[in-house]
Amino acid sequence: MIESLIALVVLLFLVFSRVPIAFAMAVVGAVGFAWMRGLDAAGAMVGSAVFETGFSYSLSVVPLFIFMGNILAHSGIAHGLFAGADRLFGRMRGGLALAAVLSCGGFSAVSGSSLATAATMSRVAMPPMRRFGYSDSLAAGSIAAGGTLGILIPPSVIMIIYGLLTESDIGKLFIAGLIPGALGVVFYLLAVMIAVRIKPDLAPPVTDPEPMSRTDKMGVFGTLALFAFIMIGIYGGFFTPIEAAGMGAIFALLLALMMRSLSRAGFWMACRETVISSAMIFAIVIGAEIFSAFVNFAGLPDALVDLIYEMDISPWAVIAMMVLIYLMMGCVFESLSMILLTVPVFYPIIYQLDFGTGLLSDPENVLIWFAVVVVVVTEISLITPPVGMNVFILRATLPDIPLGVIFRGIVPFWIADILRLLLLVSVPALSLMLL
Amino acid sequence: MTAKRIENGLMGLAAFLLLALMAVTGIDVIGRYLFNAPLSGAFELTELLLGALVFVALPLVSRAGAHVEVDLLVSVVPRAVSRVMGRMAAIVSAVVLAFFAWRLAVLGITQVTDGARSVSMGVPLAPFAFLGALTCLVAALFGLMREMRP
Amino acid sequence: ADVTLALSSWLPPRHPIVVNAIKPWAKDVEQVTEGRVSIRVLGKPLGSPPAHFDMARDGVADITYGLHSFTQDDRFKGSLLGQFSFIGDDAVTSSKAFWTVYTEDLNAREEHEGTHLLGLFTHGPGLLHNNKHRLETPADVEGLKIRVPSSYVGTLVDDLGGTSLFMSSTEVYEKLSRGVIDGVAFTYEALTAFNLADDVKYSMTVPGGVYNTTWFLVVNEDQWNSISPEDRAAIDAISGLAFAERVGQAWNDADAAAREELADSDIEFYPAPEPVLTALQASARRQEETWAESLPEDEDGLAALTRLRAMTGVTVPQ
Ligand code: NA
Ligand code: NA
Repeated sequence: MIESLIALVVLLFLVFSRVPIAFAMAVVGAVGFAWMRGLDAAGAMVGSAVFETGFSYSLSVVPLFIFMGNILAHSGIAHGLFAGADRLFGRMRGGLALAAVLSCGGFSAVSGSSLATAATMSRVAMPPMRRFGYSDSLAAGSIAAGGTLGILIPPSVIMIIYGLLTESDIGKLFIAGLIPGALGVVFYLLAVMIAVRIKPDLAPPVTDPEPMSRTDKMGVFGTLALFAFIMIGIYGGFFTPIEAAGMGAIFALLLALMMRSLSRAGFWMACRETVISSAMIFAIVIGAEIFSAFVNFAGLPDALVDLIYEMDISPWAVIAMMVLIYLMMGCVFESLSMILLTVPVFYPIIYQLDFGTGLLSDPENVLIWFAVVVVVVTEISLITPPVGMNVFILRATLPDIPLGVIFRGIVPFWIADILRLLLLVSVPALSLMLL
Repeated sequence: MTAKRIENGLMGLAAFLLLALMAVTGIDVIGRYLFNAPLSGAFELTELLLGALVFVALPLVSRAGAHVEVDLLVSVVPRAVSRVMGRMAAIVSAVVLAFFAWRLAVLGITQVTDGARSVSMGVPLAPFAFLGALTCLVAALFGLMREMRP
Repeated sequence: ADVTLALSSWLPPRHPIVVNAIKPWAKDVEQVTEGRVSIRVLGKPLGSPPAHFDMARDGVADITYGLHSFTQDDRFKGSLLGQFSFIGDDAVTSSKAFWTVYTEDLNAREEHEGTHLLGLFTHGPGLLHNNKHRLETPADVEGLKIRVPSSYVGTLVDDLGGTSLFMSSTEVYEKLSRGVIDGVAFTYEALTAFNLADDVKYSMTVPGGVYNTTWFLVVNEDQWNSISPEDRAAIDAISGLAFAERVGQAWNDADAAAREELADSDIEFYPAPEPVLTALQASARRQEETWAESLPEDEDGLAALTRLRAMTGVTVPQ
C-alpha cells in the first residue's frame, strides 16, 4: 500500500518532468517490481508485458477504428458533417462551436475512438472558427470535449474492451451508450450557449453559414451509410463488434474511393497517422501493464477491495467511491490504461452489490449501467489536466495554442460532464431503457 | 540520411501490416457469407499482424516525438531548464526502450529453446521477439537523436 | 507467516475452480503448516493467461495454474496424454489418473522444469455442440464451422470434414450468436458460463468425452526450496493426488450445476451414433500414434494412455 503511494508520487514527478507517460509508468513499475521480487523476475515480467500486449485479438480494434476515422477525415466526409451541422446553428451566437459539438457527436457514430474523433474534427472545425474570430479557448474546448463522445456513442473501443473484461454482451453495451451519448451532445450544446451568454466575446455575433458543397452533402449521407452499415452488421448478425472495426475501415475506404474524394497523399497520411497514434497508444498500454503488475503485487487492488468491504456501506456509496477514484485517476491515466487497471478489480465487487428491486436487481444490468458510468468518467479523464489526451490531440494539430488556454476552454464542458455523470449515476434507466 | 531511410522503410512496412490486418477481417467475413469459407487462421493472423504492427510502428512514434508527455511546466520554467528536462526525459525513455530490447532478446532466445509457436498455425514466435528487440533499440536511438540535436 | 507465496489467478474471481478448489487449497496450506506458509491470492493476474507457467518459473509470481495447451511448444509433450478423446466421464478419476500416469510414466516433473509440481488435472468430459442438426454420420459434420480449443480437436473436426476455427473462449458467444460459427467443443460447465444455452441446439456426447484439457498447478522452485522440509511434506500431502481429487470434485459440481440448469433448455443431448464414433476413433487413433512417436525413446505413450483409460474405466469404442 505504502509502496504504491510512493510509486504514484514518483510517477507524477516523472510525468511533470516531461518523461513520456508510457515510459514513466514502465520505469516506476519495473523498478518497483524489481525492488519487491528481484531484477530477474522484473525483467521477465517486463519482457512478457512488452511482447504480449501487441498480440491481443481484441486490441486490433484500436488501429482499425482509428484508420476508419482517419480515412473519413482525409476524404472530406467529416467536413460534410460539420457543414451540415453549421446549417442548423448558423443563426445563433457561437453557432460554429455548436456545430462543432453536434458534428463531433455525429462523427462519434462512425468512430470507435475519442482521440480519432477529436483529431478529425479539430482539422475540420478549427480553421473556420479561427477565421471568424472565435476565441481559441472556446473553439478548442468544444472540439476536445465533443471528441470524448467517440467512446460513448457506438461503436466504441472502450466498450469492447470493457465487454471482454467483464464477459458482458458488447451489443447491449453499445445500445446502452446511445441515450447517454445523445445527452452528452445536448449538455455540451447547453454549455456552449451558456458560456457565450456569460462571456459574449468568446464568439463573434452571427456568422453566415458557408453553403454546403456537393462533397459536403455526400459526406453527410456517407456518414449515415457507414453508421447504418456498422449497426446492421452487428445487430443483423453479419459480424461481431470486433470485426466491425475491420469491416468499417473497408467500407470507409470504398466510400472514399467511390466519392473520389481521397487522394493518394491523403491515403498515405491516413495510414501514417493511424500507425503512429496506434503505436503511441500501445506504448501506453504496455507501460500501464508493467505499472499495474507492480501495484497489483504491492497489494493496492486488494487494499481497495478490503476497504470497500470493511466499511460495509450501501451499494450507492460504493459506486460513489469508485467514481471518485476514477476522477482522481483520470488526472494522470490515459483512457485505455485506466480501464485495464481498474475494471478487473472493480467489476467483481459491482457484480455482487445488492441494489434491491428494480432494474438493478439483475447483476448483468448493473454491469452494463456501470459500463456507461465508467465510460463517462473516462471521457472526463480525457479532458482533465494534467494528462488530458484529447487536449493533447488538439494541441498537436494546433501547436500555437498553449495547453493552458485549451484547459481553460474546457471548464464549461467539464461542468456539463459532471452534471451528466450525476444524472446517469442516479437514473440507471437512462442507460438501460433501450435494452 | 540513414535515419530517414529507416523511417521510410518502417513506414512502408507498417502501412502494409495495417492494410493486411484490415484485409484479414474482410476476407474472413466476406468469405464466410459468399462462399461459406471463413479464413480459419483469421483470429491468429490478426494477433500476429497486430503484434508486428506495434513493434514496427514504435520507432515512428519516437521519431515523430508523438509519445504522450505533459509539457505544462514548459511555459513556466526558463528555456534552459526546459531544455535540460527534455534531455533527461529522452535519456529515461531511451533507457526504458533499451531495457525492453534486452528483455525481448532474452525472451526470444527462450522461445527458440522451447520451440514456442502459435497455437493453430504453428508460426514460430521468436522472430517476433527479435523484431521487437530491434525496433525498440531503433526507437531509443530515434528518441535520443530528436532531443540531443544542438 | 515465515513464507508468503503470491498466487496469480487469471480465471474470473467467481469461477468455480477458483472458489471451490484454488482458494480452499490455499487456506489448507496455511492450516497444515500451522501458519508458517501462507498464500496470497492476488486481486488481479500479473500477466496474460498463457504467460502463467513462465511466470512461476521466472519468479514473477510464486504459484500459478493454467492449461498446458495455452502454449504451443516442445515442453509439455506428455500432457497431451489427457487431451485426447475417451479420457474420462468424471473429473475426479480422470484428474487422479492423469496425475498418476503423467508423473510416473511420462516424466511430468522434468517437463515442468524450474517449478515444483503441485497439481495436474483435467476437467469433465468435452462435448461437441452445434445449432444446425444432429450429427448422425460424418457427412453431417461437413461444412460446419466449429470452434476448437486445441490442435488435437482441430484435426479431429477437420478429419470429420468440418472446418475448425481457433478463437478465445470469450469470443465464442459473439460468434455463435451471429452464425459466424455453427458449433463449439466445450464442457457442460462452459455452456452455461459463457451463456450459450440459447445458441446451441444439439450436443453430442462421447464415452469419456470428445476431448479434455489438462492443467497444471506449480510453485517457483527457489521459493519452494525456501520452505522447511517438514512444511514441504505437509503441503505435498494436500497437493498432487489430493488436489486432483479436490479440483476434480469442483469441476464435477460445476458440470452437475450446469446440467441441472440446462435441463429446462431446448438443447438435445444425444450419444454419438456408431458411424460418427467410428470416424472419431480413427482420427483419434492416428493422432495418438503420431504423438506416441514424438515422445522420447524411453517413454511409451500408447501404454500410458491404456493405463490411464484403465484407471478411468473408459472403453474405447472399436
Ligand atoms: Na463511437
Ligand atoms: Na486526464
